[in-house]
Order: sequence, then structure tokens, then C-alpha cells
Amino acid sequence: MVDIANEIQQQVRERKPLTPAAMLKNRWFLYGVSLMFFFVVWDSSARMFASGLPRPHEVVLQLWRMLFDPLAGKSLLGHVWASTQRILIGFTIATLVAVPLGLMMALNRYVNAIVKPLFDLLKPMPPLAWISIAILWFGIGETSKVFIIIIGTFVPCLLDAYNGVRLVEPELYDVVRMLGGNRRDEIVQVCFPAAFPAIFAGLQIALSIAWSCVLAAELVSARSGLGFIIILGMNLSRPAMIVGGMVVIALVSWGMSQLVSVLERFVCPWKREIDSP
Amino acid sequence: MKDETHPGQTKIVCEDITKIFIQKGKQRVHVLDHISLDVKENEFVVILGPGQSGKSTLLRIIAGLETPTEGRVLLDGREVEGPGPDRGLVFQGYMLFAWKTVMGNVEMGPKLRGVPKNERREIAAHYIHLVGLDGFENHYPHQLSGGMKQRVGIARAYANNPQVMLLDEPFGQLDAQTRYFMEKETARIWETEKRTILFVTNNIDEAIYLADRIVTMVGKLPGRMDVVYNVDLPRPREHTDMAFLKLRHEITEASELTL
Repeated sequence: MVDIANEIQQQVRERKPLTPAAMLKNRWFLYGVSLMFFFVVWDSSARMFASGLPRPHEVVLQLWRMLFDPLAGKSLLGHVWASTQRILIGFTIATLVAVPLGLMMALNRYVNAIVKPLFDLLKPMPPLAWISIAILWFGIGETSKVFIIIIGTFVPCLLDAYNGVRLVEPELYDVVRMLGGNRRDEIVQVCFPAAFPAIFAGLQIALSIAWSCVLAAELVSARSGLGFIIILGMNLSRPAMIVGGMVVIALVSWGMSQLVSVLERFVCPWKREIDSP
Repeated sequence: MKDETHPGQTKIVCEDITKIFIQKGKQRVHVLDHISLDVKENEFVVILGPGQSGKSTLLRIIAGLETPTEGRVLLDGREVEGPGPDRGLVFQGYMLFAWKTVMGNVEMGPKLRGVPKNERREIAAHYIHLVGLDGFENHYPHQLSGGMKQRVGIARAYANNPQVMLLDEPFGQLDAQTRYFMEKETARIWETEKRTILFVTNNIDEAIYLADRIVTMVGKLPGRMDVVYNVDLPRPREHTDMAFLKLRHEITEASELTL
């Protein structure tokens, strides 16, 4: 039955001739314009306000120096790794506990009835509110920082896993049962795969929260990490160091989020073409 | 109960089915009222009725996804007590597994019944070919058009080799041209692989084009059977055939609502 060819929706990409008008509308060109504008505004305001704001090239120079001259015994990469390590530990623990727990809450109403009240009680507490008590409990070492990250990332991980299963189209369960499947098949063939995209959305949110948490914890007390660099920059009145720390955080955080996206594309190949614009 | 494959033998018996849903608290919704229907082996029966006439509920009861409040459904003389692979259901909303390819969707039934991989691949390939989707085995549902998605839905139901196919307004979401084309395809597939078919629709042309027998439902709840028409037009049928149009006129006249 070749007739169905008329049902296929084909996308034909045309090559347009390169005219000045087309170039002005080019996406990459506009990206460049936008970034250029940002740096020009930054640089000129930095020159006007002199000391408070570093100029872009000063930030780059500062970062370059920090790569080789250790601060508090660690080079820039050492500090990046210190923060990243805390996040990886906290994030992994939270994910490994919260995602299965969220799935079980959605699948079993007894688990849900037991866990949900506790979760609802803890959910509205901002994770940063736990910093003081965490330092009292675990001291100013690594444990308290990892603890804060676990607290902060637990909520989105659990919520999105839970909602991912709850929002599954119920008729899909009918399909499995009509095809001869049992409850276990419903869970394995429908619940889990259907929840994957929501779980990954939760991981992305958790990741950005994790960075806020680790920074806050490091700002309070730390001898290493990107938060430490920012605090040090403040204490030494070196704005370039502060802004440099901010830029590096943005870069590392963006990179980790990209890694999660790559993992998602690997685990959920069916979503690949839905996401891309 | 012997010799069940004999043509002309009764396949499905609906005995006096009544369905009342209890919605939130105590509100009762009377959906089906004393439906009795016999379907013969390899017969193509269309249940024709407007929206809100309980026809989909009847199909879900036969599928075993709902239990009747009164009455019972017999399949080959045995009472239907739940969903099962001896009946294939095709959904109005396609209900494909978005995370499975066409092949993965079609082979799901055999897979759930524990058919070994090579064998179920062969079965799936056969039905993918039957519905005309050769070359699309590795496509995901979101890469397919509506008509193609429903082909996958039909192939998936067929792959379990069910004795009865239940189709619940399968082409309701398609545009007129694709719908017409899919009706032709349904007739072709049924001619190739005969099954007992119960087909629910609100489209009168679709009903006459496909059915051996049309059961109309009255246009309001509780759903009741109205008139039964035997369609003995030769196949393949033409929508513009005089006999076709005459029957269409007859059904339109008889039903209170415009179908």
C-alpha cells in the first residue's frame, strides 16, 4: 500500500540566497548582536563606575591567574571540583532516594498515605533555612553542605517522579490489559517510560537548586569551592574575583544541565524531535 | 460448544445489558438500558449512534474494561469477566506507546504473552505489512500522521490474533479524505484477515460502507438499541451507489437525530 505516501508529512528545508536582509534575520547573527551589545554596555558602565564593576577583560585575566596561582591551597579548577563534588554527591543521593519514593507514592496509595503528609510538611520550607541547623548537626565540613543539597533537590525529584506517573493517560493501562498484560506490565511498560520525561524535568530543576544550595552553604562557611572564591573576593575588595566566580558558576551549571539533557536524549530517544525547535 | 470456528455461529452474545455509573457520591447516570445483541462469527457489525448514546460504554463492557450493572456478555459461550487478549481494542485516541517504535507497539501484545523475540518480530512484521506501514518499523508515533497512527493501533490489536476486533470510533480524529481512505483500508484488511468485528461510529456513511449489519442507538441516555439494518450490498461498495443512498436515506429518516 504505497498510497499512504500522501499521509507522510515531509519537511523540506530550502536554501535561501544570502542577501543582507536574510543575514539581518539570521538567528546566529542576532545571537552575536545581542552578546556584543551586552559586553559593550558592561564595559562602558564599568569604565564609568570605575571600582565597583570590573571590565570584562579584567574578569578573564583574573580567572586566568586563578588557574595557576592557588587560592587557599587550590587552583580555580580545584575550587570548581570542590563545589561540583558536593553537588554530585548530594544530587546523586537525593535522586536515588527521591525518584523511587515518588514513583512508589504514585503507584501505591498506602505508601502515598504515609509519606505524603510528611512531605507536604517539609516541602514549603526553603532549603536554605536548614543551613544553620545543618551546621549545628554536622559541623562546617562537607557533610552539612551535602545535607543542604539533598534537602533542596529532594523535593523537585520526588514531585516530578510522582506527577509523571499520576499524569499518565489512564487509557494506556487499558491497552496493556487488553493486550494480555497484568499490573506488573502496566508499571514496567507504561508507568516508568511515561514518567521518564517528567523525571528528567525534575532533575533539571533539582540541578539549578543544587547550585543555589551549595553556594549558600559555601558562603556561610567554607575553605574551598566557588562560593568561597566569591566571599574571598568580597573580603579582599576584588570585584573581578566575585564576577569571575559568578561566571564560572554559570558555565559549570550550564554544562551540567547539558549533560542531563544528553542523558535524557539517550534514555528517551522518542522525545528527541519533540524538544528541538 | 464444539466446532466453534464454524461460520455463522454466534460469537458474541450481549444478554440484557444495563449499565449505571455512580458519579461522585450518589448521582446515578443510566448509560445503557437492556441491550441485547448477538454477533455471528466473522460478521462486521457497526454500532451507529450520536455522541452520548452509550455506544462506547457498550464496547468497553464487551472488552471487559467495564462491568455491566445487569446482564452479561458471552464470548464463545463463556462469560466475559475482564479484559483479555482474545479481544483486540482500537481506541479513538490511538493510545500508542509514545516511547516505542511502530515495531515496538505492534509486538507489544505477543511480548506480554511471552512469545519469543524472533517469533513476535515476525508476527509484528506481518501485521505492519498488512496495514501498509512497511518501511516505518523504526519510526516513533510522533513522526506519523493521524491515519498512520491508527494503522499502528489496528496492527497492534491484530498482532495478538484476537477472535474479536473492537473498534471505538477509530477514525473520529481524521480529516474527511483520510477517513474515507482508512474505511477502504479497513474493508480490505477485514477481507484479508477475517475477524468478528464490532465497530462503533457516529458516521452514517462509514457504517453503511463497512457493515454487514448496522445497529442504531437512540440519541439520548439511557442508551437503547433502536433499529437493526442488514446491509447486503455487494463489496466493495460505492458511496454514490443508488442502493447505498437509499439505505442512507432510510436510516436518516428512521433516526430521530441527524446522524
